[in-house]
Amino acid sequence: MNLRLRLALTTIAVTIPMVVVLVLFDAVARHRAAEEALVGYTLTRMQEPGGRDRCEADPAHWGGELPPGRGPPQREGREPGEASDLRERQGEGRERGEPRGRPPPLDDGRPRGRPAVLFAYDAALRSANPAAPALGEPLVAAIATSEVATWPRSWVRSWVSAEVEVLVRMPWDSGPCARVLAQGSTVPGWLGAVLPPTRIWLTPLVALFAAVLLAMGPIVGRIRRLTEAVRRSASAGYASAVPIDGDDEVGQLARAFEAAGREVRAQLAAKDRREAALREFLANTTHDVMIPLTVLQGHLSELIEGASAGAAVDRGALVAAMGEAHYIAAIVHNLAVMAKIDADAPRLHREPVAMGVLVERVLARHRPIARRLQVELDGAVPESPLHVDADVTLLEQAVSNVVYNAIRHNRAGGHVAVLLEGIAGDRFRLRVVDDGPGVPADELAQLVERGFRSDAARTRAPDGQGLGLHIAARVAALHGLELVFDSPPGGGLQVDFIGPRVCAEVADSTQEAHL
Amino acid sequence: MAERVLVIEDDRELGRQIVLHLRRAGYEPTWWTEGRAIAPEDAAGLALVILDLMLPGTHGLDILRDLRARADVPVLVLSARADTMDKVGALKLGADDYMTKPFWPEELVERVRARLRRPALQRDDTLTVGALTIDRARRVVQVRGRAVELTRVEFDFLAALARRPGAALTRAWLAEHVLGPDREGSERTLDVHASRLRKKLAPEECIETVWGIGYRLRTEPAP
Repeated sequence: MNLRLRLALTTIAVTIPMVVVLVLFDAVARHRAAEEALVGYTLTRMQEPGGRDRCEADPAHWGGELPPGRGPPQREGREPGEASDLRERQGEGRERGEPRGRPPPLDDGRPRGRPAVLFAYDAALRSANPAAPALGEPLVAAIATSEVATWPRSWVRSWVSAEVEVLVRMPWDSGPCARVLAQGSTVPGWLGAVLPPTRIWLTPLVALFAAVLLAMGPIVGRIRRLTEAVRRSASAGYASAVPIDGDDEVGQLARAFEAAGREVRAQLAAKDRREAALREFLANTTHDVMIPLTVLQGHLSELIEGASAGAAVDRGALVAAMGEAHYIAAIVHNLAVMAKIDADAPRLHREPVAMGVLVERVLARHRPIARRLQVELDGAVPESPLHVDADVTLLEQAVSNVVYNAIRHNRAGGHVAVLLEGIAGDRFRLRVVDDGPGVPADELAQLVERGFRSDAARTRAPDGQGLGLHIAARVAALHGLELVFDSPPGGGLQVDFIGPRVCAEVADSTQEAHL
Repeated sequence: MAERVLVIEDDRELGRQIVLHLRRAGYEPTWWTEGRAIAPEDAAGLALVILDLMLPGTHGLDILRDLRARADVPVLVLSARADTMDKVGALKLGADDYMTKPFWPEELVERVRARLRRPALQRDDTLTVGALTIDRARRVVQVRGRAVELTRVEFDFLAALARRPGAALTRAWLAEHVLGPDREGSERTLDVHASRLRKKLAPEECIETVWGIGYRLRTEPAP
């Protein structure tokens, strides 16, 4: 259902019941007014000088129509057939015998009710007038206790019938004129008491209705145009702006759409950037994995050729093959870590991590390859557990990268040592030190940048993109750890992770020691 | 008697290798290629469980949870995913250690050995490490039954190393605990003591210098 139709239906749904209620209320009001007028005129007529006497003199013929123009319940005789036999002469002036003509119409043009007719009854409610109707049961019951009897729930009758009937008790109880029945009708037509009698009031109502619909026209049109613009913008990937006109609610809606579109454009742009970065990273990593894989394949086929030819096993080729496999594993682990910390808001799963156990795991991971490369790998951890609040996977990979870096860039007979110590101020220091070729001082700062590797390292191990140290730096930053590079006096490289440790009680209560 | 190790690993080749290396290392492996609950009769007599997390039909963590409800046998979890939630979850469920794939067979064996290594029962004050017997109460050291005269510092040095046989101890720690906290040039002094101690213990090479760290007491004879 469109807006305009909905508005029209709503207006109708509100207006029609209101009009009906007003009309019903008007009918009730007219009925009440007619009843009151009948009572008033009856009493006036009986109590005016000589009124009672006139009635009692000839109760059989007393009564008749009230003179026109003397009150609202005037009758016009719109139903002559029904009313003709009730029509009586009015007492004063125009006595019976006067032709049953209608009273001269008033010249205000408004419809009038039928003239009222009165019938006199005695206290026992008998009438000398043969034309007097039998009194209704409710009226008889009501007049016993009150001055004026009307039909109960007469307002309901007022909606279906114009007839009004009241029975009035006179101030006296004797004689044939102790009670008077007054019959009349409300003014014909539907309205007149509360609402203006003509239906001219319907005109502003209709005009209002039309005005509402007309006023909606431009608004509906603007909403349509806005819809069209938003649709166009959406189909173009939110690339085009939504036109904004006006300061009202429609303008605000357009502004909200425009803001949403800007947000979507920004998100899309960020997503595109991330995707591009990921693609590039994937391409680099694939490249980096393919090289050691190719080298590994080369070593393996060399070995199998040697074995087929019955030659002694080439230990060098075996060690190289192991080295390549270990390197591939490191790259793939780093890929996973990179994907995690390259998210816009990396989510760390921090728990107290037992650093001693972590160091042991890292040593165990690299010891086989270090042994084959004839690099001595050793570690020392304090006797009592030392805990650090960290994401265990990330921190382990960061430490692993530094250790592996030290092993890979070392030579046969070289050393790598990993030292974990608690230092002053409830802090820890994890030091990885080697006696390899080291890194020139001017290159130390650049070491952590992605893709950078020192020239010496490049000549020795031309594969890889130096991702390991970059990841170590990123993880350290994410955990608020210091990462300090230094060149020890004897040559080689020294890398320190320094940061706060978790106090022992907290660590003990939260997690087992080996996390 | 060889210690029984249950291996739950669905990959044929990896499982075969693990079993091979465990057997070679002197353990008695049982290999399940599918994940199912470890019944009490299966768990009885097991020294260790090696559990892969990603198994067809079931998840290793469910097996672990089920096992932990009844038994305390150590569990070493293998996982191909380097995911913190997995690791922390496994450890919280009572796993004793985890390894991320890929790993070298000897790394696995070392971890199994570390988990199964029982602390040597030590009488109150007497330690036996390799060829050495150290009586801390009487401050007496013997090398293959031969008594060795040591100075106070030399004895303290050896006793400090013997507290954690096989573990490297840093020079700084040793200097502080053997020589006292504020001795000048203490690390160099320590090296002098180490050198003298070595001579006294010769021909056994009990004390090993660890590059970049300090010293270590050998638990087995030098190769």
